Amino acid sequence: MPGILEYQSGDTILHHTHPLVKLLLAVSVCVGGFITKSLMFNLALLLLSISGGFALGMGRKVKATLKGAGSLCLFLFTLQLPFVRSGRTLIPLPFGLKVTDMGLRFCAQLSMRLLGATLPLVLMLGVTRLSDLTNALVAQLGIPYRYAFVVTTAIRFIPILFVEMHDVIEAQTARGVELDGSFTQKIRLIPPLCVPLLVSCVQRMENNALAAELRGFYLRKRGSGYRRYPLNGADALVLTVCAAILAIAIIT
Amino acid sequence: MIELRNVSFSYEGSADRALDDVCLSIAPGEFVGVIGPAGAGKTTLMHTLSGIVPHVRRGEFFGAANVAGLDTITSTVAEMSKTVGCVFQDVESQFVTTMVEDEILFALENFSIPRDEIPKRVDRALSDLDIADLRSRSLSSLSGGQKQKVALAAALALSPSVLAFDEATGELDPASSVQVFALLSQLRRERNTTIIVVEQKIMLLSAFADRLIVMDQGRVAIDGPVRQTLERPGRLLELGVNCPRVTTLAARLRDKGLYQGAPPINLDEAEVMARGILR
Ligand SMILES: Nc1ncnc2c1ncn2[C@@H]1O[C@H](COP(=O)(O)OP(=O)(O)OP(=O)(O)O)[C@@H](O)[C@H]1O
Ligand SMILES: [Mg+2]
Repeated sequence: MPGILEYQSGDTILHHTHPLVKLLLAVSVCVGGFITKSLMFNLALLLLSISGGFALGMGRKVKATLKGAGSLCLFLFTLQLPFVRSGRTLIPLPFGLKVTDMGLRFCAQLSMRLLGATLPLVLMLGVTRLSDLTNALVAQLGIPYRYAFVVTTAIRFIPILFVEMHDVIEAQTARGVELDGSFTQKIRLIPPLCVPLLVSCVQRMENNALAAELRGFYLRKRGSGYRRYPLNGADALVLTVCAAILAIAIIT
Repeated sequence: MIELRNVSFSYEGSADRALDDVCLSIAPGEFVGVIGPAGAGKTTLMHTLSGIVPHVRRGEFFGAANVAGLDTITSTVAEMSKTVGCVFQDVESQFVTTMVEDEILFALENFSIPRDEIPKRVDRALSDLDIADLRSRSLSSLSGGQKQKVALAAALALSPSVLAFDEATGELDPASSVQVFALLSQLRRERNTTIIVVEQKIMLLSAFADRLIVMDQGRVAIDGPVRQTLERPGRLLELGVNCPRVTTLAARLRDKGLYQGAPPINLDEAEVMARGILR
């Protein structure tokens, strides 16, 4: 899991695309997946993301995302499926539950929408440095730096938290806490795992805020960012793709 | 440059004084080493210089602290940060970005360094610490020592008039630690930077600092030129500070009547001593 949300340096067209255009592309794919009614278009968007990911050299990220978000989707799929009542019954189940054609369709689309929303965001973060995203949000959209910084810091903290959790688990196991046991045993393990994690997380965030302050965070102005982000031909191309995705999503 | 007058401080909720009546005066361009046992108040002292104490780490503060003409009580941490560059031991929590280059850019951007000067500063900081090859690496992919070098580079790129390091070379290999200290010496020579470092490796301090401050229980126990301080190994040991081995060796030889000269504080001087004894 660590590393999946991280920037991966490279030299593809998307690496050189304007940060906000990349954000727009990712959002377009997500939104397009939610507004379309066509299952086929959902599938097409998902395949587009997957092949795009592999083309960017981020096959590892694609696989990890599909695995992580995929198991969540499978869970939701099986949970929802028997409860959809409308449509033609395909398989009758006990307790008045049933699998219907509408149910299958609904659940499949839900899964694809979720996957289709996660993958583009993961890939966007893979080709965009967080600081570029922050700076572009501030310089171009006029979002106050502190808000943009909070958002990007939250993203930055996700993998850090995972590493921290791993450390806490390791430390507790070393002290003899049994991690595999019955369900009730596991429930009882939550406090010894979560309390240190929460404490170290809060501490880390506090120290981080201090570090930012010590390095002039509060002196930053809208035009402080060093890098400039001029729009180029590739950006125009990507913007066209965004428009096309949204247009097809609306008419299908 | 740095003037502490009767500074006492106790952290919120604690009755003990982390700093107890500290008086210090450090001239511009001085290279000061701070040493002392755990809990002696070294970090608290460094935090006082940057205004973290008492603005962020709160508590009862007495006395007055002035750094480069700024009163640390009336100035904000942000104002102080223009003058005092800090690096702490825990590098991990000092990073505010994800990439090496961005980390160095961050403060340069915030402090409105002229645009045309920024790339020069970044290049120089990276090459000074020998990490030019890490430029576009992600911070999470670096080793502890490499991370520490990035934190140091980020502080050096700003070329503040005071550099305050709190055990900032803890994870570096011995050669890199020497390199960092040599770099500090050079900054002091070239830009008259005032340098104050908390460091447990006494050999480094004896080789590079002019002045040694030994802290104990919140007080300044010893404050004097490095050589003079190291000439009292007994007193240092009482305070839980080890002398350089060569100095201890000289003291033992002196006790046995084998050596009468001044105690050596580095390897070169020890060689001179050994040759003298052998002759
Ligand atoms: N946030 C805090 N709250 C309460 N007491 C504190 C806090 N930080 C430090 N202290 C106490 O203040 C005293 C001085 O601590 P300080 O961290 O300055 O010591 P130090 O010399 O840096 O030690 P070390 O070598 O372990 O880093 C210690 O007794 C410590 O317990
Ligand atoms: Mg300390």
